[in-house]
Amino acid sequence: MSAAHLHLSPLCQLPAGATGRVCVLNGDDGFCQRVREMGFGEAALVTKISGTATSLCLVNGTRLALNHRAAMSILVEQLPALSLVDGPAGAR
Amino acid sequence: MKLPAHITLTGRKRPVAAPDRTPVYAIVGNPNSGKTTLFNALTGLRQKVGNYPGVTVEKKIGITWSQHGRPIEIIDLPGAYSLAARSPDEAVLRDVLLGRRADTPQPDRLICVVDASNLERNLYLVHQILDLGRPVIIALNMMDMAAAAGMKVSAAALEKALGVPVVACEAVHGKGLVELKLALSRIELPLARHRWDVPGPIAPAVAELQASLTQNDARTALVARAEALLLLTDFDTVRVAGSKPLSPRTHEILGTWRQRWAGGGADWSAALVRSRYDAIGLLCRDVVRRTRDSGPSRSDRIDAVLCHSIWGWAVFGAIMAALFYSIFSLAEAPMNFIDGQVAAFGGWVKGGMAPGDLRDLLTDGVIGGVGGIVVFLPQILILFFFVGLLESTGYMARAAFIMDRPMSKVGLNGRSFIPLLGSYACAIPGIMATRTIENARDRLVTILVAPLMSCSARLPVYLLMIATLLPGDTIPATTKAGIMLLMYALGTGGAFFFAWLFKRTLLQGAPPHMIMELPPYQPPHFKDIVRQMVERGWLFLKNAGTIILGISIVLWFLTTHPKHPDSAATATEQIAQSFAGRAGHALEPVIKPLGFDWRIGIGLVTSFAAREVFVSSTAVVFSVENFQGGKRADVTPVRTALRQARWPDGAPLFTPLVCLVLMVYYVFAMQCMSTVAVVKRETNSWRWPLFQIAYMTGTAWLVCFAFYQAGRALGY
Repeated sequence: MSAAHLHLSPLCQLPAGATGRVCVLNGDDGFCQRVREMGFGEAALVTKISGTATSLCLVNGTRLALNHRAAMSILVEQLPALSLVDGPAGAR
Repeated sequence: MKLPAHITLTGRKRPVAAPDRTPVYAIVGNPNSGKTTLFNALTGLRQKVGNYPGVTVEKKIGITWSQHGRPIEIIDLPGAYSLAARSPDEAVLRDVLLGRRADTPQPDRLICVVDASNLERNLYLVHQILDLGRPVIIALNMMDMAAAAGMKVSAAALEKALGVPVVACEAVHGKGLVELKLALSRIELPLARHRWDVPGPIAPAVAELQASLTQNDARTALVARAEALLLLTDFDTVRVAGSKPLSPRTHEILGTWRQRWAGGGADWSAALVRSRYDAIGLLCRDVVRRTRDSGPSRSDRIDAVLCHSIWGWAVFGAIMAALFYSIFSLAEAPMNFIDGQVAAFGGWVKGGMAPGDLRDLLTDGVIGGVGGIVVFLPQILILFFFVGLLESTGYMARAAFIMDRPMSKVGLNGRSFIPLLGSYACAIPGIMATRTIENARDRLVTILVAPLMSCSARLPVYLLMIATLLPGDTIPATTKAGIMLLMYALGTGGAFFFAWLFKRTLLQGAPPHMIMELPPYQPPHFKDIVRQMVERGWLFLKNAGTIILGISIVLWFLTTHPKHPDSAATATEQIAQSFAGRAGHALEPVIKPLGFDWRIGIGLVTSFAAREVFVSSTAVVFSVENFQGGKRADVTPVRTALRQARWPDGAPLFTPLVCLVLMVYYVFAMQCMSTVAVVKRETNSWRWPLFQIAYMTGTAWLVCFAFYQAGRALGY
């Protein structure tokens, strides 16, 4: 399914406690590359812990803080709650 | 193409033997993966560790011993998420690994420290490093945290998959160190069974660039391949290749491929990262099993409060208030004790010696000067205890998170707040910590404003002024702490204002993105905190015993010579015609509009060396004035001497307004030679430190002028 058919919202608008899948990265090349290198690229799962102005998220077991500009540049698709038990590490 | 000696024509890699000379190992890994803890455990050194990313910003070298008693050199390198360096500290890692640093040998072998609780992300850097074809040992660190997060990580499975030694360890608890030392002691180390195919459409570009880098830029085959991959994922060629320009042929090839890709619309740099993560994902499938869905961790639950938009600020404010209250309430008894001992010692020396220059030098110069500063040791220790607590528990990164919003209003982000917060202790490590900032302009702005954060050297000046302003023990500690908090707030507000100004004028740029890892909370490591307190306390005493002692002796000489021709001259007349007095009088017209006289001027000039020198200088100047000629036989605390100081018309010199203005002066003025030297080194130019001196000291004068004149107009 193309990104156009998904209901995408910026990461900062993902409710606290919800999980989303990263679909689109906007922003300059350097930012996108660094985000991908940190395992936060397209298809990564992200759980929002708290925050709207500055977001606190869990990606692959790591807590990451993103400022508003960064969180606005990451578009995610909200997913239903899921469990990772007995699955592979991370959930890429 | 000539292959490295350890790669055979059939593609099978031979193990690499240790060199005959002392082998050099480099410790590499992601930020906050425990590299420096491991380095300290192996070498017995005591480099600073902390529970936040970016503690190490420069390489550190130490020696450990193999199981056979041979020395092994260990280099601790700053952390990085990728060899595609974005900030100066990450560039150190890349340049050492690629053999570009003239001051550092290219390591023979590498210890990749990997956070087991976050294996995939950590293996990204390892994956890039394995491309370099160097012998690697993987230290699978933080196994306890992986278990706590509900993960079972198999070191054996990882070793089998990669073909390199993998040692499970918990560096902070000293577990796995023996096994790691055994691995370090191996004569031969196998090379990785590392197979990763560059995505098909990119492979011709990599091959062509690699060949050109080898032929035209004198790179070895594997370094050329790594550099080709970096050049294709980062359009800033200077950032990738360093200051030495690429050959015209390599430039041409790079430009051709970029143009071709730009026309095709495909994002190949993203494809490269994805390809690596796909390979790592396959690897981790056999290495990591999740044993339970751990749900929100303890750190998540704490963060829900400490990073909350309201509670987070409340806790941050409470921590700061507790810090300043403790500085006054807890330090009072030990300070009084030291004060009493210094006074008793001064009196004892004075009583035991015949009157004369030597006795005055010892009592007024040495004991008055150094004693005046040593008395603040307890408060310095309390400050560093709190800073150590914040760093050790992981709260430092949360403070940056909380402060991101106000920082964004001035055009910076929360990442800049860690260097600023560190500058509360001392501007020098704070400025060094700016190496973690990716954007060069943001880094420069942070360097320019970092010295405005009130460092520990200002503490003695503030404390002396508060003691002069609010004499006696009847004033509650909360009032004193409130004034102190005000000064810290003024410095922080000043830093924010100038950051805002610079980002809109000299160093314009879009507000930066911030993405920062927050480490899990950990119980404080009191051993490390106490070690840091002792080191900083010792440094403070060392300064008192060297720089401050020297300046005190010189200043005593300058205030007592040349001798007044009239032996019946008063102490004030003597000091007024001394060398220091003449210099102070020359300065007085500039500082009189601020309410300062020539004696304070002497303190301002001498404290350009270091701010705390102001205390010792005023101690010497006012001791000489008050106690010369044997009129008084005891040595009185400097705050008492200041309260007794008068203008020629008999009006008190240190009025409450002047005490406050003096504190404000020290909030803004650039009064630290060491900071100037560090700024020069970090900006590689005299332009910025000179600009910093001008804008900070100019602001100090203007703000003090406005404050003093307004206070006078209001009748204070």
